[in-house]
Amino acid sequence: MKYKGWLLPPALRDFHEGRIWLKNHTPFHEDDIKRAIERNYFYIKEGIQTIPQIKCNRCQNEEPQQFTHFECSKCQKTCVYCRHCLNMGRISCCTTLLIWRGPQTYKQKQHQFEWAGQFTPLQQQASDEMLESVKRQRNHLVHAVCGAGKTEILFQSVHYALEKGLRVCIATPRTDVVLELFPRFQAVFPKTNIHALYGGAPKQEGYARLVMATTHQLYRFQHAFDLIIVDEADAFPYTFDQTLQTAVQKAKKPESPIIFVTATPSQKLLQQHKRSGYSFIPKRYHNHPLPVPRYSSLWRYENSLNKGKIPLKLQRWIEDRLTRQEPFLIFLPKVALMDIVTPLFQIIHPDILAVHAEDTDRKEKVLKLRNEEIPGLLTTTILERGITIKNVQVAVVGAESSIFTASALIQIAGRVGRNQAYADGDVVFFHHGITVEMDEARATIERSNKEGFPR
Amino acid sequence: MNKNETHCLLCTQPLQLITSWKALLTKQFPPSICEKCLARFERNTSHESTSLYRYNEAMKDFLHQYKFLQDVALAKVFRQELHTHLKHEKATIIPIPMHPEKQKERTFSHMDELLKSAKIPYIQLLEKTTTETQSSKNREERLQTPPLFRLLPDIRVEYKEYLLFDDIQTTGTTLQHATQLLLGAGAENVRIFTLISG
Ligand SMILES: [Zn+2]
Ligand SMILES: [Zn+2]
Repeated sequence: MKYKGWLLPPALRDFHEGRIWLKNHTPFHEDDIKRAIERNYFYIKEGIQTIPQIKCNRCQNEEPQQFTHFECSKCQKTCVYCRHCLNMGRISCCTTLLIWRGPQTYKQKQHQFEWAGQFTPLQQQASDEMLESVKRQRNHLVHAVCGAGKTEILFQSVHYALEKGLRVCIATPRTDVVLELFPRFQAVFPKTNIHALYGGAPKQEGYARLVMATTHQLYRFQHAFDLIIVDEADAFPYTFDQTLQTAVQKAKKPESPIIFVTATPSQKLLQQHKRSGYSFIPKRYHNHPLPVPRYSSLWRYENSLNKGKIPLKLQRWIEDRLTRQEPFLIFLPKVALMDIVTPLFQIIHPDILAVHAEDTDRKEKVLKLRNEEIPGLLTTTILERGITIKNVQVAVVGAESSIFTASALIQIAGRVGRNQAYADGDVVFFHHGITVEMDEARATIERSNKEGFPR
Repeated sequence: MNKNETHCLLCTQPLQLITSWKALLTKQFPPSICEKCLARFERNTSHESTSLYRYNEAMKDFLHQYKFLQDVALAKVFRQELHTHLKHEKATIIPIPMHPEKQKERTFSHMDELLKSAKIPYIQLLEKTTTETQSSKNREERLQTPPLFRLLPDIRVEYKEYLLFDDIQTTGTTLQHATQLLLGAGAENVRIFTLISG
């Protein structure tokens, strides 16, 4: 062996184990990488494969439109790169990916577990059922209505897996959810090294037993996890982007199970799990039924709004909230409409604010609503999930728009009545015509209530 | 690089095919970005003879993605405007070259690619001698900078007009050095043109 004197830096192993990583983007010294390669610690894979068809070996993108050919000054020939995962460092035909196959990190099996919460009987049952699936290594779907307390249900299974020395990943399509879950898990597992991975996340040290990541970040893992939990599995863009679903499959070990957790499972997800591991929690943790949306017609609301007039019913609804001092969210189908109506609403109350996906002040604005500094917030579907505000009341304007799918409407309605002290509230769908999706949303909520509170 | 875009290169929204028809009839390049993204760039109407755009948030994002993230596809974004502006240019166009090491690192010359996409012919007479960037230096240091360029071996600078093409004019040192070198080697006149004004 050539480099007898060289010792593998533990940080290099800790970082690369389980990852599929661009060689020219590794945070370690070129020399150490070279020696690790000479010791056969890395499996080396071409960045882009062209046979039998073009494919990015990191993000698994196979869409020809998403590849660009160019004359490369580095490899001196026509080269090709993947635009789909460009933000993670460009992968081209003259870059290589490193996959760790060297010595593994010591499997720590002691994990302090700090949770003294109480389960409802339904939570307990779902938690036990999930644990059973984890033990049997089979996939599992937890279908829990909004506000059922689904995060707590994960603790038992995650704890079990960690104590077995397994590596666990909790993935979600949304950065907001990663940011919300990370401190909660760190509090429950205070001595466990947990990493939170999302676009722009800070560098984190050591080997993470538990990884909380956006599904995007899973492009960078390969056969890493013994258990993957996908939270909010139906959220955008997971269901739309096939490569994200492939990424989950690639990030786990072939035999490892996946647990899906959602309030609004697709038919496909339900079909896949009805006969394997499946838990249903039709009731909220505080033992009150879900608020059922009501319909209110707002004919040609777009015309009036474009003319600078707020339809009377909507105006009354806002004024009611203001007199009763109830915080409110108004969901709108598109940013363009929101831009038009924001000044109109501000005539009713100057402190009403608006948020959309690209708004950099999104978090601050939501916080202002929570702290009762502002009376209400106009929003696109970006706030359909993940936010909890005490006593919030919700209106959807233009509920007939195609962006408001049944699951979006269920999630939106799920914002209301989450707090024990304010377990009910108003959910109103202002519409220009009732859609199948609206009916489906309402029927699904009523069905859950019926199951949760049988006569 | 020659395929037509179906989605905006910047925001990935689907592109309207109607505009492609218009492009076909008027012999324009098919669009590579959507109207909304296009509107974010700010044209430089006051000094159009020396630069096309003003530096703004959209341009900052563009340069980051094009140069730092190495998204060569973005060379197409300004091809119509560059083509329109440079197609009747009488002077011989010289894009500011990168240091060969730097170009190997980036895998492409961003200035050359802009012209190639716009189907504007150009030549190269210069060679960058340093990998340092000028923007990191103060005025004093810039004034004392040793020559940034030398002439390529076996080329001849003719007695005619040349147009130097760079991405952005910040300190002017780069373009000044190139201009002096060409004039000293026998060029009749040297003008400058940048994508973005400083
Ligand atoms: Zn890719
Ligand atoms: Zn190449």
